[in-house]
Amino acid sequence: MTEVKVLIEDLVSPTPDKKLKIVHITGQLDESNVDEKIQEVYKVLEANPQNLDLIFDLENLEYMNSKSIGYLTDIYGKVTETNGKVVIAKARPNIADILQVVGLTQLVSLYDSIDSAKTALAS
Amino acid sequence: MDNTNQETKITITLPTSAYFVSGIRDFTLNMVKNTTNFEEKWAYRFQSVIDELCNNAIEYGSAEGQDIKVTFIFKTDDYLRIIVEDTGTGKNKIDAAGLQKIYDERHAPGYVFSGIRGRGLVKIVGEWSDELKFEDRPEGGLKISIIKHLKDARKKDAGISQPNTSTVTLNI
Repeated sequence: MTEVKVLIEDLVSPTPDKKLKIVHITGQLDESNVDEKIQEVYKVLEANPQNLDLIFDLENLEYMNSKSIGYLTDIYGKVTETNGKVVIAKARPNIADILQVVGLTQLVSLYDSIDSAKTALAS
Repeated sequence: MDNTNQETKITITLPTSAYFVSGIRDFTLNMVKNTTNFEEKWAYRFQSVIDELCNNAIEYGSAEGQDIKVTFIFKTDDYLRIIVEDTGTGKNKIDAAGLQKIYDERHAPGYVFSGIRGRGLVKIVGEWSDELKFEDRPEGGLKISIIKHLKDARKKDAGISQPNTSTVTLNI
C-alpha cells in the first residue's frame, strides 16, 4: 500500500454553533489506500452529523487520484447538506491542478493558509 | 551526433496490482522531467494520466496473476505517447466499443458525475491529451493510447486559444 497518513484534529471554530475539524493528509492517495484511509473522515461525519466544518490541509499531499476526488465530492455533499462547509488549504500546485481539471474547485474553495481557510469559514 | 530528438520507446510490464502503480507514477514523473521538454506541470499531469489508465487496466482488464503493459514513446521536442494494454482476462472487462460508449456519454456537455468513481478517463486522461484512442488487441484485451504534442502544451500554457483538437478514435 502506498504510504498515506490522515490526522484529524479539532480547531477552535470561528462560528460559535459549529464544530471545526482539520484533516491533515500526508503522502499519496491512490487506488491502493484511498478506500481504507478515507473512512477516517467518514467516521468524523458520523460522529458529527450536523454543523460540521472541515478544512482539508493538503500541504503534504503529494498525489491524489480521481477516486479520492470522488470521495471529497461525496464528503462535500454530506457536510453541506447538514449545515456545514468544506474548504481546502495549502494544496500543492500539482494537487490544485488535479482538483481544477476534475471540477472540484467549482464546489470547494482553495486557500493558501489555514488562517485564510478559517476566515472563509467564518464568513 | 545529436540524438536528442530521436524517438525513444520504453516498455514496462507490471503485475495486475495497484501496489505497483506508484512506481510507474514516479517513473513517469521523472522521465518526463528529465528526458522531455514538457514543463514540470505536464510531468505531474502525465503522472495522473498514467495512474488512471493503469488503474482501469488493473481493475477491469487483466485478471489477478496476469499483467498490464505500459509503453512510453517520445521525442524530446515533439510529443509523448502513452499506451496501456491489458490481457482482457479481467472479471469486468470491456471492449473498445463499450469503452468508447462510456467515454462519449461522460464527455457529453452537461453530463453530471455522481458517485465516487468514473471521472478519471474523461476528466483527467481526456483533458490532458490531444488524442485518445481505444483499440481491441488481436490477442485479447484493450489497448488505450494517448498522445500529447509539446507545441500544443506550450500554446495552452501561454493561454493561446486553439480549436479543440481532442479526438477519440475507435479501431476494432
